[in-house]
Amino acid sequence: MMAIRELKVCLLGDTGVGKSSIVCRFVQDHFDHNISPTIGASFMTKTVPCGNELHKFLIWDTAGQERFHSLAPMYYRGSAAAVIVYDITKQDSFHTLKKWVKELKEHGPENIVMAIAGNKCDLSDIREVPLKDAKEYAESIGALVVETSAKNAINIEELFQGISRQIPPLDPHENGNSGGIKLGNQSLQAGRRCC
Amino acid sequence: MLPEVLRTFYVSCWQRGWGSEESPACSRASLGEMSAWTMGARGLDKRGSFFKLIDTIASEIGELKREMVQTDVSLENGLEPSETYSMVRHKDGGYPEDKDGKTCPRDSGYDSLSNRLSILDRLLHTHPIWLQLSLSEEEAAEVLQAQPPGIFLVRKSSKMQKKVLSLRLPCEFGAPLKEFTIKESTYTFSLEGSGISFADLFRLIAFYCISRDVLPFTLKLPYAISTAKTESQLEELAQLGLNFWSSSADNKPPNSPPPHRPLSSAGICPASLRQLCLINGVHSIKTRTPSELECSQTNGALCFINPLFLKVHSQDLSTGPKRPSTRTPNANGTERPRSPPPRPPPPAINSLHTSPGLSRTEPQTSMPETVHHSKHGNVALLGTKPTPIPPPRLKKQASFLEAESSAKTLTACRPGRSPPEPELELEVEMGTAGHAGGAPPRDAPGDCTRAPPPDSESQPPPCHGARQRLSDMSLSTSSSDSLEFDRSMPLYGYEADTTSSLEDYEGESDQETMAPPIKSKKKRNSSFVLPKLVKSQLRKMSGVFSSFMTPEKRMVRRIAELSRDKCTYFGCLVQDYVSFLKENKECHVSSTDMLQTIRQFMTQVKNYLSQSSELDPPIESLIPEDQIDVVLEKAMHKCILKPLKGHVEAMLKDFHTADGSWKQLKENLQLVRQRNPQELGVFAPTPDLMELEKIKLKFMTMQKMYSPEKKVMLLLRVCKLIYTVMENNSGRMYGADDFLPVLTYVIAQCDMLELDTEIEYMMELLDPSLLHGEGGYYLTSAYGALSLIKNFQEEQAARLLSSEARDTLRQWHKRRTTNRTIPSVDDFQNYLRVAFQEVNSGCTGKTLLVRPYITTEDVCQLCAEKFKVEDPEEYSLFLFVDETWQQLAEDTYPQKIKAELHSRPQPHIFHFVYKRIKSDPYGVIFQNGDDLTPS
Repeated sequence: MMAIRELKVCLLGDTGVGKSSIVCRFVQDHFDHNISPTIGASFMTKTVPCGNELHKFLIWDTAGQERFHSLAPMYYRGSAAAVIVYDITKQDSFHTLKKWVKELKEHGPENIVMAIAGNKCDLSDIREVPLKDAKEYAESIGALVVETSAKNAINIEELFQGISRQIPPLDPHENGNSGGIKLGNQSLQAGRRCC
Repeated sequence: MLPEVLRTFYVSCWQRGWGSEESPACSRASLGEMSAWTMGARGLDKRGSFFKLIDTIASEIGELKREMVQTDVSLENGLEPSETYSMVRHKDGGYPEDKDGKTCPRDSGYDSLSNRLSILDRLLHTHPIWLQLSLSEEEAAEVLQAQPPGIFLVRKSSKMQKKVLSLRLPCEFGAPLKEFTIKESTYTFSLEGSGISFADLFRLIAFYCISRDVLPFTLKLPYAISTAKTESQLEELAQLGLNFWSSSADNKPPNSPPPHRPLSSAGICPASLRQLCLINGVHSIKTRTPSELECSQTNGALCFINPLFLKVHSQDLSTGPKRPSTRTPNANGTERPRSPPPRPPPPAINSLHTSPGLSRTEPQTSMPETVHHSKHGNVALLGTKPTPIPPPRLKKQASFLEAESSAKTLTACRPGRSPPEPELELEVEMGTAGHAGGAPPRDAPGDCTRAPPPDSESQPPPCHGARQRLSDMSLSTSSSDSLEFDRSMPLYGYEADTTSSLEDYEGESDQETMAPPIKSKKKRNSSFVLPKLVKSQLRKMSGVFSSFMTPEKRMVRRIAELSRDKCTYFGCLVQDYVSFLKENKECHVSSTDMLQTIRQFMTQVKNYLSQSSELDPPIESLIPEDQIDVVLEKAMHKCILKPLKGHVEAMLKDFHTADGSWKQLKENLQLVRQRNPQELGVFAPTPDLMELEKIKLKFMTMQKMYSPEKKVMLLLRVCKLIYTVMENNSGRMYGADDFLPVLTYVIAQCDMLELDTEIEYMMELLDPSLLHGEGGYYLTSAYGALSLIKNFQEEQAARLLSSEARDTLRQWHKRRTTNRTIPSVDDFQNYLRVAFQEVNSGCTGKTLLVRPYITTEDVCQLCAEKFKVEDPEEYSLFLFVDETWQQLAEDTYPQKIKAELHSRPQPHIFHFVYKRIKSDPYGVIFQNGDDLTPS
């Protein structure tokens, strides 16, 4: 019997970049009918095994419009991880992402795991944000990065697995999940697979 | 008439083995009856209290009826009634000093009850002995080594972090003891590998004292516990705790079965009476025989029995084992002729103490009942005057029982019998026993003590009749029960796990809990006369459902009771806090402050309760571990928030009225409601008027709840409804980008100021562990929506002048420059007042004479000259409006901006300020603004 750990994850990013599509894809693929569905797509949960624990992601979506920006702290408060989404076909959304990262660094929870998702990688012919930029930026802030496609279910699972691995295990005596190396591999591998 | 009613009632209680069991009310009732007889003989001076007792009985009958379902099977053994009677008689005749001494009649009643301790009772009273959660494996082994096989302990394994049953094995098993893991699900306790689940640990252990199921043999209680005659003896033993095992109290049974001591030895011991009074409160939780549990749905106990098990065991059991109970009296040479057994008795070989389980006959009644049988046997044989029951009364009694049983569970099998009219009548009488009580109970003592022996001949037929009927019933119940379990258990088990938390709300509303108990009693009483068939079916259904709530509810009720008892530390704590809050309205500076201290108090009290010994039996033995906190939280709501609800509401209202925030909110709600949905960023379908009404209704219901959890549940229902409207069968999933604007729109449309305090109440009082879940999310969203509404005007102003505003101004400028030909400049636009701000020198203002279409660039130049600025490139012109700074672009027209601001419907205070671009934000002091930072 594995212990279940609840992890709050908040979703940040411009409106229209596909935040909720990513979560819907993640939650609804391999949907377990024994798990109670949530009432809507703004809040979803999914449990995945990680090491000798079960991670139950409680995924908090935020409204991306500027006018709701001031509410964001209420949503990312207490989060173990943040998934910050941009649209690879919109340079602006990448700028917004940087703003979010900055805000999280300043006001977010300590040790929050940040994962950058460049969504809509199925549209790479009209790409505006090069993967290289995203990777360099992610490296500079110590974040995980993958390009995803919620539409084609690319790298969605991997995104959350990566987060899982970066969550420090509860018992400090348990080793193995130090995260760093594996995570690096993960993000590289993920990137490769995507493009 | 009345005494008969009472008697019948008493007997039925007795047979059901309640009394000390399910409800204290029952024992109270039987006490009442006894005292009634007594008083009838002594005179009428105590009439008043007699009437009260009658009232009590009347009101409790409904409860009892609800509780009894399956237990009628006990009647199958035709002996029971007479045995019971003899016992009653014995009491009456045996202790005349009771009557004369005018001792509390209740005491004598309790006393008689204490003689029939069930295994469950024994376990409940002695848990400090066998329930040793903190014991290590080694320590447990040490204790058990010295014990005979079958003795057990329950402890918590630190390795598995689970409770285990440590059982002493006989030598031939090789190992001295074996441990069986106890599985705790959300609702039940069970032994690993067994299909039988129990509502709590006591019932589990009690069951395994009777039936081995997955064990190598049945559990055995230590001799001293199984032979204790009174609750006070048990309490004494329990005082020893773990030391019991090494003390002399833990004596071993003699080789031969111990002689049955006369009843009087268990008699009236004042100490025991006191003890009983003390623990009286506990009865309400403690008390239920597993037999009731396992096969009844209505009583709410939760026990799932594998139907397979029932069938198999019914075959096993129905053949022999019943005899011992009927046999025991016989073996002791009394009473036997009084009550002919339906079947030839087997040789009396059975020792009550070694294997009480064997005395079981009925497949679906489980052991505690058995124990009662044996005890009844004991009791009966102890009765000195074998007096058979007069037949008419017995008949009544039997028919009453039948009526009850048929009303409860067995309606389905009734057609085979003629409709028992007298029973109906009887029931009505009982339902209205309040006025029936007017009849002096004169004949009662006579009935009881001097039942004419000749009647004994006529006794068998009614008994037989009852037996037959009941065996029919037991057949039908067993089948219907197993069917029901088949159907309902997986269903509900599944639903409880799979449906979203919303479902929990069904059928369990705050209001129900808040309703005065009298109301529900009335309901119950009236149900007596309603068509039983319909009623019982309904009750069966609801029973199945509610049974899942019950252990928890019962624990909550128990804690709530404790909280009202100022004799306990916990009760004092709660009562003092509640009255302190109510009396000291000034002790909190803000609404948040008030709610936070309440939350803190609840959390502290929870911690106290989970560690204190004031909860007896310990909560771990009644509630599965992962549910303990949930149950405690609910209990806190009931004993702290419920009494405070009105006060908190009034205080919140006061706070918000005093600080003007409600006035502001009211205005803004009005403002937002005038906007069309698109202006609020809504691009999904919105609820129509009817749906809005529905939502409003839910919010109104929310206001009536005191539990923050239930309020959140209603909020979730509202959100679910909004989603349904948004999705509108399109199958599209909406995330927060779409949902939050719609929620804002809906909240504005509902136009309820109280929502503000509702949300505040939930935000501050909700169990922190729930804040990360779905409830927490939508609560956050509702809070966010409300703050958007509260800041609606500010938002507009900010939007004009924040980062977007620059674009807006530029666009506006472009528009205007293309229309340059249209002259519309007023005279006053020839003047522009500009403030000059320096870090060191503060503010100075100057009015400049300017052209209408002067650009910012030109104004800056002018300012540099006027204010004698040496490095003009470091300076720029800013617009300060609504406490926001905006640097104006070089190509904008300050005079146009001024005109625009002047033309707004609401006048805005604004200033043009010439200042350093990269100034220290704190150096920028404009008038009294000390927190102004350039945006």
